[in-house]
Amino acid sequence: MLAEIAQALANGLLSGALIAVPAIGFTTIFAVLRFPDFAVASYATVGAFAGWWVNVRLGMGVVPILIAAFIVAGLVGLVAEHIALRPLRGYGALTVAIGSIALNLVLENLIRFIFGNDLHGYDLPLEQDLNVGPIRVGPQQIQNLGLAAAVLVLVFLFLRYSRFGRAMRAVADNADLSRLKGIDPGRIAGLAVLLGAGLAGVGGVLLGFDTSIDPLTGYRVVLAVFAAAVLGGLGSIPGAVAGALALGVAEELALLVVPATYRSAIGFAAILLMLTFRPRGLLGERSV
Amino acid sequence: MQRIGPTRPEGVILAGQAPPALRVDDLRRSFYGVSVLQGISLSIAAGSITGLIGPNGAGKSTFFNVISGLLRPDQGRVSLGGRNVTGMSPDRLVGCGLVRTFQLARGFPKLSVFQHLMLYAPRQPGEHMLAAIFGSRQARAYEAEIAERAWSVARRLRLGHVLDNPITSLSGGQKQLVAIGRALMASPQIILLDEPMAGVNPTLGGQIADHLLALHEDGITICLIEHDMSLIKRLCDPVIVLAEGRTLMTGSFAEVVDDPRVQEAYLGTRH
Repeated sequence: MLAEIAQALANGLLSGALIAVPAIGFTTIFAVLRFPDFAVASYATVGAFAGWWVNVRLGMGVVPILIAAFIVAGLVGLVAEHIALRPLRGYGALTVAIGSIALNLVLENLIRFIFGNDLHGYDLPLEQDLNVGPIRVGPQQIQNLGLAAAVLVLVFLFLRYSRFGRAMRAVADNADLSRLKGIDPGRIAGLAVLLGAGLAGVGGVLLGFDTSIDPLTGYRVVLAVFAAAVLGGLGSIPGAVAGALALGVAEELALLVVPATYRSAIGFAAILLMLTFRPRGLLGERSV
Repeated sequence: MQRIGPTRPEGVILAGQAPPALRVDDLRRSFYGVSVLQGISLSIAAGSITGLIGPNGAGKSTFFNVISGLLRPDQGRVSLGGRNVTGMSPDRLVGCGLVRTFQLARGFPKLSVFQHLMLYAPRQPGEHMLAAIFGSRQARAYEAEIAERAWSVARRLRLGHVLDNPITSLSGGQKQLVAIGRALMASPQIILLDEPMAGVNPTLGGQIADHLLALHEDGITICLIEHDMSLIKRLCDPVIVLAEGRTLMTGSFAEVVDDPRVQEAYLGTRH
């Protein structure tokens, strides 16, 4: 039983790390624009397909795949947000959130139109699983964990030390006061969408490395991404990481006692419990 | 707009007379077809404490948002000390000497009181990358200078004992004092205060009023939105009344409270 628990913990951390990247994207957009952007699901899928194209069609490796995914998903997010969601901002967060669901469906079907419904796999070498004591992990999972950790460190450094990162945090904390200091919240909102959608795209690639991709790649994880952001505290970047890891571990541990078909219920249960007992989340500063 | 007392046409400046600190002509702003400001015209004399009152929905906060650059007007003109500043960005207006506070003085939750004060000193060379890299000595010297000013402002506002505390740990009144301190760090000509007494206990409210009178004695022009009429009576002359997005009247506190149009704006028409 202890070995099973250790395996579940390891699996939970590995799957949580994959969710953490798009969850940071989701929470970054929320922190600055104050609405839940469910279109991150399609940004993840766009990134996954952009990375797949660079990998399979151009024969490039992991780093170019991630860069392509970030840039293409970020730019698609920026343009889509500008055309479809920005005009709705004045009508309130709920209207924009509903608009983001519609945008997600549009982008998902555009991908379906271009790439078809079939599963696509990255052209990466297959390697045997490793045994670390009682725990069995795949080299690809370890690589994904390393890549997710590297992306998270880069995002933290960007937000903490760069001029744009600091401006983004200032706008997230107090947009009006930031304007008195010469920070343009409109420009920062664009940057937040670029960063958030780009990170969702990178998350899509990491999910694709783990299994395969299709037009529903992002849609399948959007609940987990949302749950992770709510668990950690919407708008909190460290919270999104903590929420994703906690959710991953909770899902895997729950599978020890409930059938795998109930896996997605864990996310819903986590959202309900957190909103009931601690609305501001694990590390959030304001209630949802 | 009707003036009480000696009348003269709006905006006419007599020979040798200084221009008003702030002058607004026919300011209009609407949101999704709803007109919130319907042609406000008013002048705020240099060195005065002007009260801006009116029932909820009169457009007071929108008026502040437009003249402080947070919102662009649909029409109209804003002049600061005779200079046209219509549509200027909020940071440039701060540079011109117009500073404002907000009703909810939240500040930046992760910064201390001292950091808030330091942040709003103008023309900091360390904020620009090249100057920060190549002019570090000058940047440090200026930073030491503004740190001294921040200490001085904090002492003046009796915030010295909470200088290193995060802003989130302060009471509502202390946050308002920090907002006033932040405004002072920007060397203002005119300060717009949006309900500085909202949610503040009476003792601290009295202290804030004393600080405002001291700033007035230093020659700083103050315009404040406030619902606390005892404070308006104590501090403000003149008082400007806004109703339904228009300037209803300007006068002394006594003149304003006795005016039947003001009573009607607050209480509704008597049938």
